[in-house]
Amino acid sequence: MHPRGWVGGFSDPGAGAHPGYLDKRRLLAVFLGVSGVPSEARATMERMTESTPVIEVRDFTMRFGSATVVDGLSFDVHSGETFGLLGANGSGKTTTVRALLGIYTPTAGRLLVHGRPFDPAADYALGYLPEERGLYRKEKVLDVMTYFGQLKGMERSHAAGWSQSYLERVGLADKASTKLTTLSGGQQQKVQLGVTIMNNPSLLILDEPTKGFDPVNRRLLLDLVEEQRAAGATVVIITHQMEEVERLCDRVLLLKDGHAEAYGTVSEVQDAYGTGIVRLHYAGSLPEPRGWRPVTAERNYAELELDEGTDPQAVLRELLDAGVEVRTFDASRLSMEQVFLKVYGHASDEGVAA
Amino acid sequence: MRLHNLGTVIGFELRRTLAKPMFWLTSLSVPALMLVIFGLMWFSNTSAAASVDAQRDEAVTFTYTDASGIVSPDIAQQMGGTPTSDAEGAARAVQEGRAVLHLDVPADPSVDPVKVVGADRGLIGSGKWAAVARDLLQRSASEKVGDPVVTSVLLNVPTTSELWKDGERSPGVAAAILPGLFLVLLYMGVIMLGQQMLNITVEEKENRVTEMILTTLDPTVLIIGKVLAVLVVGLVQGLVLLIPAGAAALFLPGLLGGGSTPAPMPGPAASGLLAGGMVVDLVRIVLAALLFIGGFLLFTALLVAIGSVMPTAKDAGSAFGVVILGMFLPLYTAAVVINDPSSVAAQFLTWFPLTAPVTALLLNALGVLSLPVAVGVIVVLFATAAVFLWAGVRLFRQGSISYDKRLNITKALRPTRD
Repeated sequence: MHPRGWVGGFSDPGAGAHPGYLDKRRLLAVFLGVSGVPSEARATMERMTESTPVIEVRDFTMRFGSATVVDGLSFDVHSGETFGLLGANGSGKTTTVRALLGIYTPTAGRLLVHGRPFDPAADYALGYLPEERGLYRKEKVLDVMTYFGQLKGMERSHAAGWSQSYLERVGLADKASTKLTTLSGGQQQKVQLGVTIMNNPSLLILDEPTKGFDPVNRRLLLDLVEEQRAAGATVVIITHQMEEVERLCDRVLLLKDGHAEAYGTVSEVQDAYGTGIVRLHYAGSLPEPRGWRPVTAERNYAELELDEGTDPQAVLRELLDAGVEVRTFDASRLSMEQVFLKVYGHASDEGVAA
Repeated sequence: MRLHNLGTVIGFELRRTLAKPMFWLTSLSVPALMLVIFGLMWFSNTSAAASVDAQRDEAVTFTYTDASGIVSPDIAQQMGGTPTSDAEGAARAVQEGRAVLHLDVPADPSVDPVKVVGADRGLIGSGKWAAVARDLLQRSASEKVGDPVVTSVLLNVPTTSELWKDGERSPGVAAAILPGLFLVLLYMGVIMLGQQMLNITVEEKENRVTEMILTTLDPTVLIIGKVLAVLVVGLVQGLVLLIPAGAAALFLPGLLGGGSTPAPMPGPAASGLLAGGMVVDLVRIVLAALLFIGGFLLFTALLVAIGSVMPTAKDAGSAFGVVILGMFLPLYTAAVVINDPSSVAAQFLTWFPLTAPVTALLLNALGVLSLPVAVGVIVVLFATAAVFLWAGVRLFRQGSISYDKRLNITKALRPTRD
């Protein structure tokens, strides 16, 4: 049975027409044409067909002892899209990603990347920013970046050159020979971001990407993600920052207690939890609700959630007829934050990281 | 298992260790100290030898009284001795600094001691007064016997020995030297590299780097790569230690004792005699090498597994004691094990994986470990090492993302897939 907010199937014919998608054949040709692409990665690309999702999760269940963290989860992430894996603390987001990347062994189900279980030896083009992040603090910045570049399949000299260029771009060129531990927290975050996007990953998985980042690095991160996305990368963002979701994501999956609560494009999920919301500044008294209900009602400001089928124009007319002095009137969909609050209520405060 | 990125891991781990000045500072400080000590020893030995020669050549002027009648006046005269009948006066002359030595030989030197009254020339210098007394009496006695062969036998009986076991010639203690070296190597390896082995997994966890690493390679490859790197670092450290020691042995002769000469070994072709009295028993050496490798792998895998469970290096350090206990327990009970290898205690220590490496290496070096038992212990060691390594990798995969708390081993090793 599909969850309440289930608005898209795995073979959603509309999904391929999403603006986030690129021409896969063209991408494939580009990948295959690039010299130096490892043979295993090339084989992976060759195996991919038009309909092969970049990430495919089927009936994934994860139990730790008697606790079921994820139960029967299924979803796809398609090439070129930015996908949001959302949920409160403890809803199973990080567990899902760790199982997808082979760090956890799933209790049941199938988790595939490029059509097969994740294989570090083959899937070079992955940029992963984990929730718990760090680097070898006692080593030099350039050495650490070069090492990770090599692990991701770059030649040592190429990795060192790329790292040097990146450090220059983020203003850390003079820190290349400095030990990481002597860098400030913000500078270490920049290095961490550089490591994440090394070797131009075709799949970026970012777990709570802006967690702990200062505004400068947050902006840098979003710019880098946008660059990768523009270059055709598939991006998966695990977060409960709903503002980022609205700005970045094409499609989302809302996890609640290990189950898929909602799945689809951002607007589809918003629509599934209410046809819209009206924000108004006013003077006077609001009339009895008809086809709407106040979500926020302050002295001069209110947010009214509209029932399905309710026309915002009719609500405005009703307010004016009731003698309400309407100073501003803004009709829009529910924000993702409101959807989040609707789904999780106050339970999100009680969860623990999963 | 594919070894994807193994070379990259080894290269990084080696570079980060060998490029650090502190590594070379600490590694070179030991051989530098050794060189200084060897130099001082060589200098002291040379000086002492020269001093002994000089003392031997130096004629000591002394007086003596002889109530036994053994002392030969001619020999005494050659040695610088002058007879006197006033023992008290001669002793007083030494006390007042007018003479350096007076010897008072009693009527029966085999019962009563020779009284030596000498000037204090320091601990070493004064020691020669007794030597003069001994030399005087031995040479005088030899003259009285008149047969140099009898005299030689009385003074010293040289021997060579052959040991036989089960109808075959036993190489004895000389054959224990080379197999015994592997026991020393095991101790050196675990003590010098143990902490680094422990840090292999703890470091990844403390740095919160595991998740990123595990998306680029298999945890088994990571651990094997790090273990190999530590081994190479250990090899470098070993060479840094051995080269000066070898150079000292080569250029400063006299530091390494030659040992006793065993009887010629006409035995099996696999055995041979080396300079310094070492006998090569190829079977025992091969067994020792296999026991060493198995034991080293076992302790390494155990340390990796401990590191995977513990959240910090500090916590892991306390668990290191278990390994050390396993290594030193057999030494405390060595007498029991050697005297009766078939006792229950010896059998337990021989077969229990943590005590087996040291016990078996010890017994093998002493030639009391039978071939079937040795092979059995080697199999146990390699099998246990494989189990520890499997558990270590699995615990690492689980424990490395259990950042701030100790891993629940039972949960981590439990199969999770339905």
